Amino acid sequence: MSAQLADDELLITRDFDASASLLFTLWSDPDHFRRWMGPEGFDCPEAEIDFRIGGRYRGMIRSKDHGDSWFGGEYREIERPTRLVFTWTWDTGPSGEVETLVTITFREHGDGKTTMTFHQTPFISVERRDSHVGGWNSLFNKLAAYAAKQQPK
Amino acid sequence: MQTEDHLSATLFALADPTRRAILERLSRGEATVNEIAAPFEISLPAVSRHLKVLEGAGLISRGRDAQWRPCRLEIASLKSVDEWLAHYRRFWTGSFDKMDAYIATLKDKKDKK
Repeated sequence: MSAQLADDELLITRDFDASASLLFTLWSDPDHFRRWMGPEGFDCPEAEIDFRIGGRYRGMIRSKDHGDSWFGGEYREIERPTRLVFTWTWDTGPSGEVETLVTITFREHGDGKTTMTFHQTPFISVERRDSHVGGWNSLFNKLAAYAAKQQPK
Repeated sequence: MQTEDHLSATLFALADPTRRAILERLSRGEATVNEIAAPFEISLPAVSRHLKVLEGAGLISRGRDAQWRPCRLEIASLKSVDEWLAHYRRFWTGSFDKMDAYIATLKDKKDKK
């Protein structure tokens, strides 16, 4: 097997041609959420959102090849329109039942564009997350360097 | 093929600063329990418990020599974490592509009004 670690964390940064307020609504309003959730080839027929701190959401994406995949979680931080933190867990599948924490920030540029930064870690609570920041990345970088040294020449 | 349980065990093992520090130490080479414990202000039994968790997750292996049992990093075990991240990256990147297209349709509707 290849021991190279391609990713040291899940961090995705994207610019959208939209206001922070609209992007925030796309995450928080189930009618909008259903329209974009899931990659190409997937529909999102089910989404229920109780949008308040401590409130839960639940949804399902469907594809011809993969069938139905349910997911859900709980809102931890809501600061419209700049910051959103929630837990995320797939019911089943390759990463099923592993609770993760998603942190999204929205930063408007003033020209109608907004940068959305999406961060996801397998660490499950806000309290614990704060003690993990940094440790996860630096460890992975070191282990990746170690793994590279182990490759047969 | 690694199982979901294995992924959970690996993530659990990594979700502790002392255990991550132990892995960092082992990324510089094999070490005995005493050598591993030296920089930590925790007891030898506590270090041993951490080593058991790491060993259970397959992140380290220990030598057969009954007295020294040096610990060694087993990088292959991290592959499940790597795959887990890759799965999520594909999922979200695809979803954000769709989000981008959806925003365009919202703007079209607004312009037509």
